[in-house]
Amino acid sequence: MNIQVAAQATGPRADTGRDAGIGRDAAMRRMMLAFLVAGFGALLVGATIGPLQALNYAGINAYPSLRPLLQTYYQGLTIHGVLNGYVFTFFVTCGLLVYLPARELGVTPGLAPWRACFGLMAAGTACLLYAMFDNSSSVLWTFYPPLKGSPFFYFGMTLLTIGSTMPLPILLAMRATWKRARPGQVTPLVTYMSLVTMLMWVMAGIGALAELVLQLDPWSIGLIAAVDPIIDRTLFWLTGHPIVYFWLMPAYISWYGLLSRQAGGKLVSDPMARLTFALLMVFALPVGTHHQFADPGFSQVWRGILVVLTMSVAMPSLITAFTLGLSLEYAGRLRGGTGLFGWFRALPWGDPSVAAQVLAAVTFILGGATGIVNGSWQLDAIVHNTIFVPGHFHVTVGSVTAMTFMAITFWMVPHLTGRRLVSRRLALAAAWLWFAGMMLFAVGMQWAGLYGVPRRAWISALPHGTYHALYGAASVPLALVAAGGVVLWLATYAFFAVFFGTILFGRRAAPPPVPFAQAIGGPADHAIDAPPSPAGAGPSPLARALEHVWILAGVTLVAAAAAYVPILWPFLHHVTRAPGWVLW
Amino acid sequence: MSEEQGMTPFEAAFHASAERHERVWTFCVIVMLALLTIGTMFYVVRDYGLVSATGAFYTDPADPAREAAFADGKIVRTGPNAYAVYVVGRAWHWSPDVIRVPAGAEITFYVTSADVLHGFEIQGTAVNLTAVPGVVGSVKYTFRRPGVYHIICNEYCGMLHHAMVARIVVTPSQAVTTGTPS
Ligand code: HEM
Ligand SMILES: [Cu+2]
Ligand SMILES: [Cu+2]
Repeated sequence: MNIQVAAQATGPRADTGRDAGIGRDAAMRRMMLAFLVAGFGALLVGATIGPLQALNYAGINAYPSLRPLLQTYYQGLTIHGVLNGYVFTFFVTCGLLVYLPARELGVTPGLAPWRACFGLMAAGTACLLYAMFDNSSSVLWTFYPPLKGSPFFYFGMTLLTIGSTMPLPILLAMRATWKRARPGQVTPLVTYMSLVTMLMWVMAGIGALAELVLQLDPWSIGLIAAVDPIIDRTLFWLTGHPIVYFWLMPAYISWYGLLSRQAGGKLVSDPMARLTFALLMVFALPVGTHHQFADPGFSQVWRGILVVLTMSVAMPSLITAFTLGLSLEYAGRLRGGTGLFGWFRALPWGDPSVAAQVLAAVTFILGGATGIVNGSWQLDAIVHNTIFVPGHFHVTVGSVTAMTFMAITFWMVPHLTGRRLVSRRLALAAAWLWFAGMMLFAVGMQWAGLYGVPRRAWISALPHGTYHALYGAASVPLALVAAGGVVLWLATYAFFAVFFGTILFGRRAAPPPVPFAQAIGGPADHAIDAPPSPAGAGPSPLARALEHVWILAGVTLVAAAAAYVPILWPFLHHVTRAPGWVLW
Repeated sequence: MSEEQGMTPFEAAFHASAERHERVWTFCVIVMLALLTIGTMFYVVRDYGLVSATGAFYTDPADPAREAAFADGKIVRTGPNAYAVYVVGRAWHWSPDVIRVPAGAEITFYVTSADVLHGFEIQGTAVNLTAVPGVVGSVKYTFRRPGVYHIICNEYCGMLHHAMVARIVVTPSQAVTTGTPS
């Protein structure tokens, strides 16, 4: 068997939708595969452009030779940010967060709303691609007004965002079905984590949707003449900070919900996993304005409060590091690892899915540490809008999310298609290359950021003398950035050879099941038609308390309002009306 | 924990030692974070200068020059050893594009934009301020060493964003002159 987890399955876990016919099960698999292919298709384009940006920083300007496909660096960067940051992450997440709970609960999801989710996001992506490739909207993924793109860009963004919220009602309906059959029981872990993630995201989406629907959509088609740039920036970051959790939480779901099983052990604490997700939701919304430490117009007191709030966000990540580390240690010791670090070496490193996820977790240590730098106001002043910042988020979303999603495809594509991975070795190589490339790249970016090298700057187009006067001092770290970019190119194509190769040419084999982890002391199976397990009868008081997701959501909304009203207040009293500009 | 009944002896032992580990871990993390924070703060103060205040007032987004001080990129002496510098970002230059100030004086920069967002970053310092049309942000800084500093635009503002550079010439003397926009 190609994937180890299949062999380690404890007890039978029927993989056909148990309450459904073969036809609906096949439809479910096809939908999930469609989400994966759409998402990874976006990543293929985005990750092909990424290294060009890395070369830019080392003074190598590839863009003149890319005409007429790409006119400018900024057009390429817009495509990279939108496709990788939004399209890739949204598609894979909106697939996983419906598919995994459906398998865990043994319930078929509402296929019609799930298709609508795909359809809305696909339509949005088509509009975005059109607006980006015709170079009418090189406004970058943050689309700060009063830079003004075409209506296709903003309407495409609106559709994509609305589509990405659709899994929430699907999840709520599946959970309700399950609860009717198992009255009084707490929601199974993967479903719980998925639900909290989507709840968080729907509340967070209010900011960007308000910005788009009330300001940018009507503005782009000429219904209103002017917008307030700073109010729109604030609304953007109301969504833009939580979006980083929308990137992380699906990866955490895989780490908590699957990885401990894949590694050969169990999850050491189910209530801690739930607590992490509840905290992520509550903390995500109120702290968005820490992205605006450099903006004028809100009080020093609030900046100080924001620093404290932002630091609190480190807490759920540290709990994750602990629980995940311990679960892996448990697995490693079960596999015979001894001593302080022997358990780490004893992990099943030959399984590309495990290797990629463990490497993603290791990379995240650097992401967490640099996040603390960004989150402190005074430190942020040094690195704000330098390439330190993309250096930071490539070891978070560019690694944790991207590598974990890649890792998931290594078992999921065989699971969905009934085809074996074409090459386990190439899959492993992709994981290690991505890890090595991102580390080189991120260290280079963060180090160069300390020299004040700005992000989002086509510096390779500067005259040689100017480039050297401004950035010559950072030539060593900038060379690391370029080297990392080249390694990442290799990683990208190694991965896509495995991904598309397996879908198209993999040899037929029995599909492995979904490797749901079991918590120590928790029930073996949650599915709707499985017999209730005796150990699952008494979940911990913490898990019971956290089951009240609506109360948690209410607390989140109140906290977000408390954080935003004082900051928006002065802006709302001095509305500035700026006309639009097209400057590329 | 209430779920002890479903565990194997190995699981139960592991579970029990987890709580001890958890305390050690939390302690290490707190110490590490504290050291990191304190250490980097000292580093910031020593190498980049601390920046105070980013207060704001408001002006006409389309025409910052209505605010008289912005009309020709003024540098105004506001005290025995203090100056105010008025800077406008425009796609794609800063005016004034050469600013001369003496070392050791407290400089307050008033920064705004005449079109889109720009980012006012003085390379190698902690000065970092978003230039917003219709809003004037301010920041204070004291240059300790004479020399040439670069102002870089660090907020994407269109086609020539990367070329939006100006200079601050920090003189050892008390002589101050305004540069001419090129
Ligand atoms: C193939 C590997 C990749 C390389 C070499 C790469 C390189 C870069 C570079 C150099 C930048 C900074 C450009 C600038 O500031 O001028 C950047 C920006 C960015 N990257 Fe990547 N990247 C890669 C993969 C990814 C992935 C996997 C994601 C997300 C899942 C991602 C998301 C972003 C985003 C959101 C931006 C910000 C764009 C902006 O500032 O408008 N990248 N990338
Ligand atoms: Cu600019
Ligand atoms: Cu700029």
